[in-house]
Amino acid sequence: MEKVSVVIDGRTFEAVKDRCVLEVAHENGIYIPSLCYNSEVPSSGGSCRVCLVEAHQGGRMRLVTACNYPVRKGLEVKTDTPLVHRIRRGVLELLLARVPDSEVIREMAASEGIAEVRFRKDEGENERYKCIACALCTNVCAEVVGVHAIAMTERGADKKPATPYDKPSEVCIGCGACAYACPTGAITMKEKDGVRRIWHRDFQMVRCSVCGTPYIPQAQVDWIVSRTGKDRSFFDKCPDHR
Amino acid sequence: MTEVTRDLAQFDRIIDRYEKTEESLLAILQDFQREFHYVPEEGIRRLSEVIGVPASKIYAMGTFYKALSLTPRGRHTIKVCTGTACHLKGAPQILEALERELKVKRNGTTEDGEFTLECVNCVGACAMAPVTLVDDVYHGQTRPSKIMDVVKKQVGS
Amino acid sequence: MGAIKSVEQLEAYRRELAAAARPELPTVLVCFGTGCQANGARPVAEAFMDVIKEQGLEIDVNVGIKTTGCHGYCENGPLVALRPQDILYLKVKPEDVPEIVEETVKGGRVVERLVYRDKATGEAVARYSEIPFYRHQQRIALRHIGTIDPASIDDYILAGGYAGLTKALAMKPDDIISEVERSGLRGRGGGGFPAGTKWRSCVAVESDVRYVLCNGDEGDPGAFMDRSIMEGDPHSVIEGMIIGAYALGSHQGYIYVRDEYPLAIRNLTAALEAAREKGLLGEDILGSGFSFDIKISRGGGAFVCGESSALMRSVAGEVGEPRAKYIRSVERGLYDKPTVLNNVETWANVPEIILKGADWYASIGTEGSKGTKVFSLVGKVNNTGLVEVPMGISIRELVENIGGGILGGKEFKAVQTGGPSGGCIPERLADLPIDFDSLTEAGSMMGSGGIIVMDEDTCMVDVARYFTGFLVEESCGKCTPCRDGLPRMLDLLTEITEGCGGEEHLAMLEGLCDLLTWGALCGLGTSAANPVLSTIKYFRDEYEAHIRDKRCPAGVCKALITYHIDPEACTGCRLCAKNCPQECITGKRKEPHTIDADKCIKCGVCKDVCTFDAVRIS
Repeated sequence: MEKVSVVIDGRTFEAVKDRCVLEVAHENGIYIPSLCYNSEVPSSGGSCRVCLVEAHQGGRMRLVTACNYPVRKGLEVKTDTPLVHRIRRGVLELLLARVPDSEVIREMAASEGIAEVRFRKDEGENERYKCIACALCTNVCAEVVGVHAIAMTERGADKKPATPYDKPSEVCIGCGACAYACPTGAITMKEKDGVRRIWHRDFQMVRCSVCGTPYIPQAQVDWIVSRTGKDRSFFDKCPDHR
Repeated sequence: MTEVTRDLAQFDRIIDRYEKTEESLLAILQDFQREFHYVPEEGIRRLSEVIGVPASKIYAMGTFYKALSLTPRGRHTIKVCTGTACHLKGAPQILEALERELKVKRNGTTEDGEFTLECVNCVGACAMAPVTLVDDVYHGQTRPSKIMDVVKKQVGS
Repeated sequence: MGAIKSVEQLEAYRRELAAAARPELPTVLVCFGTGCQANGARPVAEAFMDVIKEQGLEIDVNVGIKTTGCHGYCENGPLVALRPQDILYLKVKPEDVPEIVEETVKGGRVVERLVYRDKATGEAVARYSEIPFYRHQQRIALRHIGTIDPASIDDYILAGGYAGLTKALAMKPDDIISEVERSGLRGRGGGGFPAGTKWRSCVAVESDVRYVLCNGDEGDPGAFMDRSIMEGDPHSVIEGMIIGAYALGSHQGYIYVRDEYPLAIRNLTAALEAAREKGLLGEDILGSGFSFDIKISRGGGAFVCGESSALMRSVAGEVGEPRAKYIRSVERGLYDKPTVLNNVETWANVPEIILKGADWYASIGTEGSKGTKVFSLVGKVNNTGLVEVPMGISIRELVENIGGGILGGKEFKAVQTGGPSGGCIPERLADLPIDFDSLTEAGSMMGSGGIIVMDEDTCMVDVARYFTGFLVEESCGKCTPCRDGLPRMLDLLTEITEGCGGEEHLAMLEGLCDLLTWGALCGLGTSAANPVLSTIKYFRDEYEAHIRDKRCPAGVCKALITYHIDPEACTGCRLCAKNCPQECITGKRKEPHTIDADKCIKCGVCKDVCTFDAVRIS
């Protein structure tokens, strides 16, 4: 583990070479907002652009996304400059125009002093609702769960996560990892009478033999069993009663 | 237009022309497009099976690349070049004239399934602007008042 | 002959070809580029074959007929060049063929009506090399185009092809890189990054696998130089790539070609096959022990795939989404291996640089931009087509001397360079030398080399809106500024062109431009502001006319114009009334007509059909 020293907002820190600026900053109590990045998901990040910071290196300055910019020797980062805030405000204004119903975006925009957008809003214009097309859900599904039920489809403003042909996915296991990972709560996962509905498909839930709570989709149990060889009876009880 | 159920062998014949790696995906999808005038759903599912790539990924490619269409296209394709030189020399009027005459919007297919009208961003024949392609035959210096005659003459209707 | 197994064998083969060639014999060269084929070159070539066969000329005077790549003078196609006389005929039709054979091929006389006429003086110019369009050119990248048959590797070898490779194979890889560095060759795809530097940094990375890629995804609308090279001289690109691969120690190359260029794909595929057969590609090239092969990767109709990281993803069979370039592709490119990506024209220059030396190449062009550049000169200019000139030529020279001035004697307003990433440069700056740095300084960029000429009838707000619309369609959608910012920019520009724009629109546009420039993920987004910013900078008055006076000075923006008929010019021929889709033109035969403005949809058909130029826009 090669260590390098890096300067963030005037303070010097030791950090593992090639780790991303965002994590190094957060670990040292320096806040940088972010939406599309999750440290558990290798390909996540770089898309929402709210974590842009100034990177000064080798005599040049550019704005970079803190979530995937590697720390190297001689790097100086500034997270709190007029330029950073100006561009962040621009990004948040666009996101707010795109998903005016998202509480998360409203709060983040408010913290940068944006309450109203000057552009046409997307209200009611499409089914995107709260989705900011950040691809965290599809990355989780592919890289963490390993199922690839959904992918980012279309391009440009129409980009959205979807199952093939928007049909119930044959490979989805109903685990809900995408919904948990979504930064804006845009993925609908509903549960009723022991049945979970997500991505246009119903999943029968397994009930805990102790408390009777439906806690995991049968399809997910099958998936885990087939992948790990774990004993099926392990899933008879929910984590609270194991 | 309804989906026709196709024999898997039709897809396999195309898939077999290529190495069975991800690198071949786009080329195979384009061959599907040429063969069937669109990329059929069974084709994507079959390709997923044979190459071992998730269907969601191949479907995403189908929605991303403009050369591919996931819905059946017309028997004839008219592409209006909307490159810069064509734009300056009247491509918008050509497009409008075709939309008007064929009663179809861009990227749409006529009711009888005869024509699909598309725009293409520069076919690299700028010196003959404005350019319109009918079934991949280039027509240069096209004019809004004559474009339908050009189309009819070529498809022989 | 089969595979050539050594450099000596190749040179012997070249001598054999030269001995068999008889340049004194008449040769007919029919241009078979996309443009000429669109204008009907095929029937012309067939007519020549027929006449030659009918008259048994093969035996008689040994006519060779060749189909060549694009001469670049496409609007005058089909072009037919005749050797040894060095005559060029324009707009040749099949019915002209017997006369050409009789007069020129057999008799050596010029068919006057088919030659170029100077638009200003009306003077006929028969000799290919004296036509102003060609006279000012210096052809390096286009060196063989229009003179060789792209389908014939023998033609290429006879013209000196693969001599750069044989010279390179005798050099140390490191010396090849030095030669490219010293030549000052900069990336012809638009970025202008020094090619030698790129190669050098790729070699510096430890790896057992390296890739060389050719970017043939010429997506800039209005640019077609790469198409012409791939169609007309595919071996020059292949040879350049083999030299590059040898210098870099790479064994696998890829050429990524736009799906919109079927002829380029066909000709490249055939050329690769021929090169393999001759032992110039594959295992143990020319007995050197070095192995290298090239695959063709077809694009799928996505402009963003011209961006290097997106292109590499597309080659690998994925959606072409760019990734952050915090780690350069010379370190981790295709399949995360060190990769050199250069564009078609860059590769086509490499064999000549190796063959003639870095000093020769560096003696052409300007201090910061060496060599020549191929431009596609299109738009509202008299001579449109491909032009290769030394860097540093001024915009005015290009438009006036080579392009023969503005169509119809209209006023020269601006040129647009660099495609959707470039900007508009006004006529008052037309004495600017065309090189990488001057164009960037003026708020545009070289881009791949499209030069689109605009006249008084071009509305600059409409141009900005056009490019923004183009980018809205082509944005991959991965990052917020581009995905959501460009549609907002298009909204604002559309409102201005519809006469609903206010003063605040300009400020908002500038704010979005700022956001894109700093905040977007890839080059498509970070340069997307150029068309808008450059038009605001140089043509603010046009924006203001749309905003304040609700007027489109160029008479383009539909919402702000009306069509009417000039009673002085109208002869009452009824043609417009017959063609009007709205049937809103009235008037008796032989009396001036009028357009009912309430019903008119401003489709322009009346103006298009009127032979008396009586339909006016105000």
